[in-house]
Amino acid sequence: MMDKTIIELHDALKSNQVTSQELVNEAIKKSHEVQEKCNAFVTILDDAKGTEVTEDLLSGIPFGIKDNYSTKGILSTGSSNTLKDYVPFFTATAIENLMSHGCVPVNKTCMDEFGMGGTGTTAHTGVQRNPWDPTRMTAGSSSGSAAAVAAGVYPFATASDSGDSIRKPAAYCGIVGYKPTYGMISRYGLFAYVSSLDTCGVMTRSVADAAIVVDAMKGIDPKDMTSWDSSNIHLYQDLTKEVSGKKLFYIKEIVDKNHYTNLPKETEEHLDNFMKTIDIVRSLGIEVDEVSIDQDILNAIASTYIVIGCAEATSNMSNLTGFSFGPRGEGSNFQEIMKDHRTKGFSSLIKRRFVIGSYVLQTVNQERYFKNAQRARRLIVDTIKEQFQKYDGLIMPVGTGVAPKLDNTDRVTDDELTPLEEHLQIGNFGGFPSITIPNGFINNLPVGINITGNCYDDQNVLNIAYALESKMNYKNQIAKEVK
Amino acid sequence: MEFNESTIDKLADLLMIGLTPEENKMILDEFAIIDKNIDKINNIKGIENIKPMTHCLDDFKCKLREDIAEDSPSIDDLLANCKKIDGREVEVPKVVE
Amino acid sequence: MNEYYLTIGLEMHCEGSLTNSKVFSSGKNEYSEISNCNVSPVDMGFPGILPVLNKKALAHAITMSLILNARIPEYMYFERKNYYYPDLPKGYQITQNPPEECVGNGGYIDIEREDGSTFRVEIDNFHLEEDAAQLTHLYDTSTINYNRAGNPLYELVTKPCLHSADDAVRFLEHMRSIYQYCGISEADSKKGHLRCDVNVSVSKDPNKLGTKVEIKNVNSFSSVRETIIAETKRQIDLINADRENEIIQETRRWDEETGTTVGMRNKVDAEDYKYFVEPNIPRFKIEQSWIEEIKASIPKLPYERKNSYINDLGLSPYDANIIIKEKGISDYYDECIKLGMDPKTSANWLTVNIMGYLNKEDINITEFFIKPDMLKIIFDKVNDGTISSKQAKDIFNEAIEKHINPKELISNDNAQISDTNELEAVIDKILANNQANVEAYHNGRTNLLQFFVGQVMKETKGKANPSITTEIIQKKLEK
Repeated sequence: MMDKTIIELHDALKSNQVTSQELVNEAIKKSHEVQEKCNAFVTILDDAKGTEVTEDLLSGIPFGIKDNYSTKGILSTGSSNTLKDYVPFFTATAIENLMSHGCVPVNKTCMDEFGMGGTGTTAHTGVQRNPWDPTRMTAGSSSGSAAAVAAGVYPFATASDSGDSIRKPAAYCGIVGYKPTYGMISRYGLFAYVSSLDTCGVMTRSVADAAIVVDAMKGIDPKDMTSWDSSNIHLYQDLTKEVSGKKLFYIKEIVDKNHYTNLPKETEEHLDNFMKTIDIVRSLGIEVDEVSIDQDILNAIASTYIVIGCAEATSNMSNLTGFSFGPRGEGSNFQEIMKDHRTKGFSSLIKRRFVIGSYVLQTVNQERYFKNAQRARRLIVDTIKEQFQKYDGLIMPVGTGVAPKLDNTDRVTDDELTPLEEHLQIGNFGGFPSITIPNGFINNLPVGINITGNCYDDQNVLNIAYALESKMNYKNQIAKEVK
Repeated sequence: MEFNESTIDKLADLLMIGLTPEENKMILDEFAIIDKNIDKINNIKGIENIKPMTHCLDDFKCKLREDIAEDSPSIDDLLANCKKIDGREVEVPKVVE
Repeated sequence: MNEYYLTIGLEMHCEGSLTNSKVFSSGKNEYSEISNCNVSPVDMGFPGILPVLNKKALAHAITMSLILNARIPEYMYFERKNYYYPDLPKGYQITQNPPEECVGNGGYIDIEREDGSTFRVEIDNFHLEEDAAQLTHLYDTSTINYNRAGNPLYELVTKPCLHSADDAVRFLEHMRSIYQYCGISEADSKKGHLRCDVNVSVSKDPNKLGTKVEIKNVNSFSSVRETIIAETKRQIDLINADRENEIIQETRRWDEETGTTVGMRNKVDAEDYKYFVEPNIPRFKIEQSWIEEIKASIPKLPYERKNSYINDLGLSPYDANIIIKEKGISDYYDECIKLGMDPKTSANWLTVNIMGYLNKEDINITEFFIKPDMLKIIFDKVNDGTISSKQAKDIFNEAIEKHINPKELISNDNAQISDTNELEAVIDKILANNQANVEAYHNGRTNLLQFFVGQVMKETKGKANPSITTEIIQKKLEK
């Protein structure tokens, strides 16, 4: 049953074809299979109980929670050894909201440690693998959620996105990843990585499911000053395929094949496939324009992200001392036990990024690095917002192709493909609503396309994705292992 | 402050983390790329006149919290994850000023 | 001393003890003997927590800014000050920086000295931040109590503009009373509500500041005074001994036992706090209408009360100054006046008897047993002649000691004898028994009058009304 959409499952539950407990049991069984193959979970809740089925579309349906959401009484590690034994006594607002609809969490999904990194390889539980091809990554940081939804463990899992952590793994797993406008979903209880970029969201296999789940997660929260009132937004109810007359743009410098001196074959196919999808978009009555954006601005994206990300992260994770939660380090004074806790607890990647973050925040360096990155952020956002005056959204290919092999390491790189690889970060810089949906295959591995709109314009973005999805054959697809 | 191996070690020490020599080297390499890319940002014309973007949205309408206190969680909850407890308090080795 | 110019700058931290909840969380802001009973997850820095600014705490900060004539920014935001210490649960403190972005920027306040002259204190900035947790140091461990963590903390930073220990303390006392008057803080040193950092520099050139030395965490005003005096002496002695180069820009601490300032272990380089804007608290607008509302709600401040005591109630500036120093005392006094008690007598009792007792017992007036209405009973009985002022004092003391309402202590048993006939009988008897002294009085030793009064008192066990007694004796002797 777990390959079904939320609506299908709800209908099955309502018509007594299946019980909530049967769905939960199936999800748990499937979790163990996927764990075996993909190492997608930190915790599987073997004794999860089915719930009463009501009129609520989500009632009785099992789902997964990314492990950076605080869950009362359930281990919540952020996939870090610094919290490997942390059992919170409070639940994140987004999860509380969701569970008030009667859905049932069955596991906590692994992730790149605290959301940092885009490979799904830095979790303290080990490397996480792509269900389409276990020799490949799912990308991150919401790697476990993406793999589990793609593998058909359940119809949805919560996730979070600070750079592209929902939208890239969604592409690599052939599913839907939706990051709403910043602040639409409360961050209270979401472990902080880059507070000014962190956004809660969801991984599903269809746009309608994403709308249903975010409807249930969102809402202004007195515990999060950056959350806003979206009570007049009803994403699922207002979902429509009537998108004729809408206008989208893509960025010429990133999408145009002729712009590259050395384009890998796979990337070329990916860009060709993107253009084919653009034809489908146009067939919906949507106008799509090619827009030129200053190459200097595009080149600034990746560094802007890394400087702001490292800086905020090093501060955000200063609470990880091992004093009042997390394993206690060894040593004879507080500095020693804290250092022991952090040295043993953090992966190499995080430690490296902390050093960079603290350097760019030093008073003497702030202007050159941190503040200039914040300036570049505004410049990038203003540039895109200017286009949003004319267009309903930005449509772009996700990444440079299919999921990379796992032997790729997560290093800072610099080449002409970087803007293509990292442009989804624009969505976080501006807090824009942004959704990835699958748009085909290269060598039997899925690739994705992304639609990003202006702040608060989530409905428009979802509608366009919903209409486009209906014209392609990738809705609700389950990962088929490629041999 | 130049970004070199000893800077890295000093920063790591202030961050209360230990680094292996390999990690130190990796940071040096990674930073070189960031440094180069930052130059790209710094070379953008008029960048110095842009107001740094510190928050995600510019039009937050936030409400300040009314001064109402909530009850404290139980001491068992507060200290459930703490490994060293003395009575109702968190214990650490003696902090010398 | 004349050839040296002393300059002092102060940083006064005051914990806002009078909000219900903490500054960035809904944790209870309340002192408790029980550790970790007023804590929210935010206060302990658990993963996923977010700060939410308390409107009341900000209103308090705005109140202070207005009183300090400081500029209030149109938009406000907070910054993180990053450093590691076990009393800092998040690894950063949410505070405000730089001065021009603080809730109060610049400004001044005029302070009156005891002799009636005034001086102006220039304000650098006034800002709102959160307090740290409390560490208790045991034999080989320290323990962390988070009750205090996240309480509102107001920091007032002056320009280096003070030139004597007296002025510095005068200023601090005035600020403390303002915190109390405005209902922002009990500002009680004993509860650790007040902490000061003192910057002292000595120079031979009145137009140039000397090397600034900072003395941190001075916890009482008397220590501030002693610190300034000791540090000034230390610096002058060094200059006089041609060792001026040993005065370095450093952080020292006050050592109460030796009465000196002691250099703190200096780190090789100063800690870099890596300030940056707190992304979880949006930049928000402080509406002018709200500022006006706050302005209108500022209560009568100490100097206003003092002027009314002097001009309307006829108190001496000396008494008025003593009474306004603490809001509790001033409130007590106002209550007495409201009950119709004599202003001067009330002031006298308050400054001498009551404050004497409070100082001796080291308690606050709110803990004082005799409330104004009880004091009024004693006053009334003196006024209607039921008891003497000597008896009044005895009753007052007994009431405090036994926690008994003075009403119960004033009975027929100790009622004053004001009855002329009764007194005349006693007086006649005494005059008859002391004929030699009566004669001496007539020969010019008029000071014997007091002797006769004393004898009457002795005979009546102190119950005779002294003024009536004196009057009768005088009359009889003049005959």
